[in-house]
Amino acid sequence: MPSATVNKPRPSELLSRLTSAEPEVKVRALREVKNQIIGNRTKKLSFLKLGAVPAVAGILADSIDDVTENNNCNNTNNFLVQSAAALGSFACGFDAGVQAVLDAGAFPNLLRLLANPNEKVVDAVARALRMIYQSKLAPKYDFLQQKNMEFLISLLNSEKETVSGLGASIITRSCETNLEQKALFDAGILRKLNSLLEGGSLSQRDASLESLATVFRNNPEVISKFAGPEIGRPLSSIIDLAKDRYPRTRLLACMCLIVIRNASPHFLQDIGIKTKLIHILLELLDDPGQVGDEAPFAFSSLIAQKEDLQKLALEANAIDKFHHHIKKGSLHPRRYEGILLALADMCSKLESCRTKFLSLQAKPSQSLEPFKALASNGIHTATKPKPSSSRDQELMLASFVLNLVADALTDYNAGVRAAACICLKSVTRSIQKLSAGYFMNETIVIPLVQLFLDPSTSVQVAALGATSNIVVDFTTSKSIFVQCGGMKQLIQLAKSMESSVRSNALWALKNFVFQADNRLKEGVFSELTASLLSSLIRDPEPSVQEQALALVRNLVDGCINLIEFVFAEDGLILGAIGRQLQCASKAEIGIQGMYALCNVASGNEFHREAVMQLLFTQMGDKNQSFVVKFLQSNDSQLRTATVWTIVNLTCPSSPGAPCRLEKLRNAGIVSQIKNMVNDPCVDVKVAIFFIFRISPCENSARAIYGFRGQLSMSVFIHYSEYKRQEILKQLVFQSSSPLFF
Amino acid sequence: MREEWEKRLNHIRIRKEDMNKLVMNFLVTEGYAEAVAKFRMETGTEPDMDVAMITDRMAVKKAVQCGNVEDAIEKVNDLNPEILDTNPELFFHLQQQRLIELIRNEKIEEALEFAQEELALRGEENQSFLEELERTVSLLVFKDVSNCPLRELLDISQRLKTANDVNAAILTSQSHEKGLNTINNIRSLSLEIVRKLVYLLALAQNIILESYLFNK
Repeated sequence: MPSATVNKPRPSELLSRLTSAEPEVKVRALREVKNQIIGNRTKKLSFLKLGAVPAVAGILADSIDDVTENNNCNNTNNFLVQSAAALGSFACGFDAGVQAVLDAGAFPNLLRLLANPNEKVVDAVARALRMIYQSKLAPKYDFLQQKNMEFLISLLNSEKETVSGLGASIITRSCETNLEQKALFDAGILRKLNSLLEGGSLSQRDASLESLATVFRNNPEVISKFAGPEIGRPLSSIIDLAKDRYPRTRLLACMCLIVIRNASPHFLQDIGIKTKLIHILLELLDDPGQVGDEAPFAFSSLIAQKEDLQKLALEANAIDKFHHHIKKGSLHPRRYEGILLALADMCSKLESCRTKFLSLQAKPSQSLEPFKALASNGIHTATKPKPSSSRDQELMLASFVLNLVADALTDYNAGVRAAACICLKSVTRSIQKLSAGYFMNETIVIPLVQLFLDPSTSVQVAALGATSNIVVDFTTSKSIFVQCGGMKQLIQLAKSMESSVRSNALWALKNFVFQADNRLKEGVFSELTASLLSSLIRDPEPSVQEQALALVRNLVDGCINLIEFVFAEDGLILGAIGRQLQCASKAEIGIQGMYALCNVASGNEFHREAVMQLLFTQMGDKNQSFVVKFLQSNDSQLRTATVWTIVNLTCPSSPGAPCRLEKLRNAGIVSQIKNMVNDPCVDVKVAIFFIFRISPCENSARAIYGFRGQLSMSVFIHYSEYKRQEILKQLVFQSSSPLFF
Repeated sequence: MREEWEKRLNHIRIRKEDMNKLVMNFLVTEGYAEAVAKFRMETGTEPDMDVAMITDRMAVKKAVQCGNVEDAIEKVNDLNPEILDTNPELFFHLQQQRLIELIRNEKIEEALEFAQEELALRGEENQSFLEELERTVSLLVFKDVSNCPLRELLDISQRLKTANDVNAAILTSQSHEKGLNTINNIRSLSLEIVRKLVYLLALAQNIILESYLFNK
């Protein structure tokens, strides 16, 4: 079949024409290459592979020589413009292209050409350089060198939009440290950028907004100098631009304002500006292009970690709006990821947001219809289903929106999958919903467990985070999780090469066995094995050590038989705990280790003697005893954990207690504890009550239930369902709870 | 009554300068370069951009309106290579138009090859184009395109729509001043003026009615 586009040369032929001796052929081929690659990412890649970039860069270099030799001016300019435009297009939004342009040595030539007398040449060159500076691969610009600063100022002062835009791009890309930000301020750059804001063209305003945000980032000093009285009221020009007619300008202005808000507690804190920012960003979601894709990320940066803003956003119906966009489907992956992360931020702290999210429906009629039908069915049979409770209705509603999240878990884009996991993690912080068994179902668990094997580490870690919350489940059995191989996978991941995967897998396991039944714990332990667990306790990474110790703590809590775990294989685990406590690099390791020992000591005499031996064999020199060190620690949790361990070792019902008490007294531990009677921390004081056997009255009993880390108190306290819920509530509302992610 | 009218008229401020600006913006946007020059001379209103740029832009618009899409693309790239490089939707619409023109001229083989080599890639690069892509490619299925369900794609209005999109994109890239020389602003300014004219009309009606009643 004859080719219909016979007059269109193939890429390889075009390339050979680039090296032609005839200038006419050459320039036409150059223009053709440029026209073929503009807007066409696939063509850029194929030309790149054929080596087009060095060829074009070569033409640029040759033309510069022609300029210096004053050869045919028009022709030369034409070559310069076309080759610069082609290089710029290769670099536009295409990292491989940027790298190729840099590798071909075109960068210094482009810089030189900024001084060319011909306007079109300068325009083309400035654009090409700006494309390079939009990529992270751009060469770092050293602002601290006087020469460079002067060059930058000359760029910004240029009347040509393309050139001043280049200056702004250089700032946006390369300005990183506080020192550089200050240097830019001192050189008067901010004043110049501000004038571009007020009197510049559209592209100058946009470029200026981006540069200002870069200079302000995390630098309250520069912000207050800029917003100070000398330059008039520059913040108001940025605020005005947030209401500009162009969506991109609105977005960039909002992002600049958010940077200022986040860096400096003095500016833009009133409720008016907060509400305005929220509304503008939510409205920008409707933009079909890149602006709409980036808007949710800006929204996240506004509300993350800030309850007041999350509340305002909830009132502005943010969750409904995000849900509406997800429902529309066929989203650009960037937008999908952004919306999921924004939802994650919304639900990260406030139960009201999580409830709102889970009450969203796929279609208004769908949710209640089946229940209506049941209700109107007048047939009385033995098998008539019980009238649906409101809990069932709630579960059904939740399943709709969870289906949306579950879809995202299987998306082809890794960023979307990770974002879906992070969203789940936030939503599953809801104790209420966890207790009601919202999440331990196939829709969520099966795709989540599949992500444990995801090729991307960040997706794995995010999936583990969501799992950690979901497996804390009291009402329903965790059998779904076990059945789909979740438990076994977690143990496999605990052996991963990546430390973040190991520590997060252990975290999930720790939560999985929290107050679980004995059979489940035995299953975990036999799969895990004592040797693996002890090696994890001795892992090189402190975060892994901490989680491994916490896992032991949760495993041995409860029935006495479980304490035998630490004695398996010649006391491998107990030994590892002892060695790790001796050289604990941070308080958290000490805390988990001591609670583990505390739980062991809540068993029988043999167990208590073993713990005692551990404490004392490590104490070569009394001054180096880790027990005393922990009792003197600044960390109140560590002090508390240590005291509770001593409590268990000296509980009066055990025959060996007086002997152990004597040993502790001789080691100076008892006097140390006596000094702590007026400890500033209530938890410590409560624990000390028990050492000195002051009988717990109503008040101290209540104090105990309000206190974290109760798990070691199995000797004295029997849990009822009610009490477990009370303790759990306390656990969650503590922000530094070891339990919830 | 005349005084009443004039008093109320004075409250309405449609300044002559605003009207002139509106007219100038319209002439610039629609690309009537000669009219721009004449109007400038007569009223002293300054256009917000270089008149030479108007000619360039109009050449592109005209090329699309005549169905010479390839030529239009080359001209846009000469004007500013960034426009099509950073505007995937516009680029897609231009290529879509190119395919439509090939089909209109019954160059079916060429159209097929173009759809395969170029348009399919756009669909791969960006899923949101897929639906429109499928619609356009479906044209190839029909023997009698002018009577098929998708015949509106072949309509001149489709060309005009694409031409306007390109015009707007070029205008945006060329925009200098803060606001006033864009299509949106023309709309909002003209809306303002229309509103005031309607008010005037209503006012005139009221006054006539009053006088009628009064005289009765």
